Amino acid sequence: MRIRRHKRQRPGETTGIDLAPMLDFVMNLLIFFIITAVFTKEFGLAMSRPSASIGAPAKEAASLLIAITATGDILIDERQVDIRAVRANVERMHALKPENGVMVVADAKAGTGIVVEVVDQVRQGGVQNVSFSATR
Amino acid sequence: MRHQRQEEHVGIDLAPMLDFVLNLLIFFIITTSFVKEPGVSVDRPEALTAEHRESGNILIAIRSNGDIWMDRRQVDLREVRPTVERLHVERPDDTVVVVGDKAAPAGILAQVMDEVKLGGVEEVTVGALNAAGK
Repeated sequence: MRIRRHKRQRPGETTGIDLAPMLDFVMNLLIFFIITAVFTKEFGLAMSRPSASIGAPAKEAASLLIAITATGDILIDERQVDIRAVRANVERMHALKPENGVMVVADAKAGTGIVVEVVDQVRQGGVQNVSFSATR
Repeated sequence: MRHQRQEEHVGIDLAPMLDFVLNLLIFFIITTSFVKEPGVSVDRPEALTAEHRESGNILIAIRSNGDIWMDRRQVDLREVRPTVERLHVERPDDTVVVVGDKAAPAGILAQVMDEVKLGGVEEVTVGALNAAGK
């Protein structure tokens, strides 16, 4: 119906391009992109790996070594400490040697949760240069 | 159509609507990021200092039993490197986020991070929930 009317109009009057099909197409595209859009908020902790898999000794820049045992115990200087004491230890070390980083060595069976907690505490203590390795 | 009471055909002017819709379309095209979902959900550890990763587009999940998932399928540790290489070639700007379950073994986490680095992606982060709620 609409098309016929359009055709009748042609002689004499100005007719623009019919935008409707283009609009249909664009709308479809729009709906596709709205549906497929995923606004992910990915959060992560950056930790470096000491010379990945080559097995080279860790850089001497890491002065504080924090060990995590398979049972989730945390050892600093061969002394077992609580998770809440990690930050204080890191702050003390950081005040003495501000340029040095921290090395977290976890047992291969330790949980990722405890590793992330320790690294989080270290970063709260002011040291951003954290490297992480696991025993085999 | 309702406005056709007069003799001529007067349609609604679609141009402004089209402008608006095209703008919306361009916005969605630009903001769309094709994240490579791992395909499983894991119990993420929480951290106060977790940073927002702008282009954390390749996600690797490690389940509590040590299974590695990426690109919606379970992969072997040896498959991580070629898969990362392939995805890295497709979109070189991508970074990798390794999302380990709270109970996932740290040894697997370290090995996966190594494989990702060998696959050519230097920027690897360990996924966490931001406990600060930012």
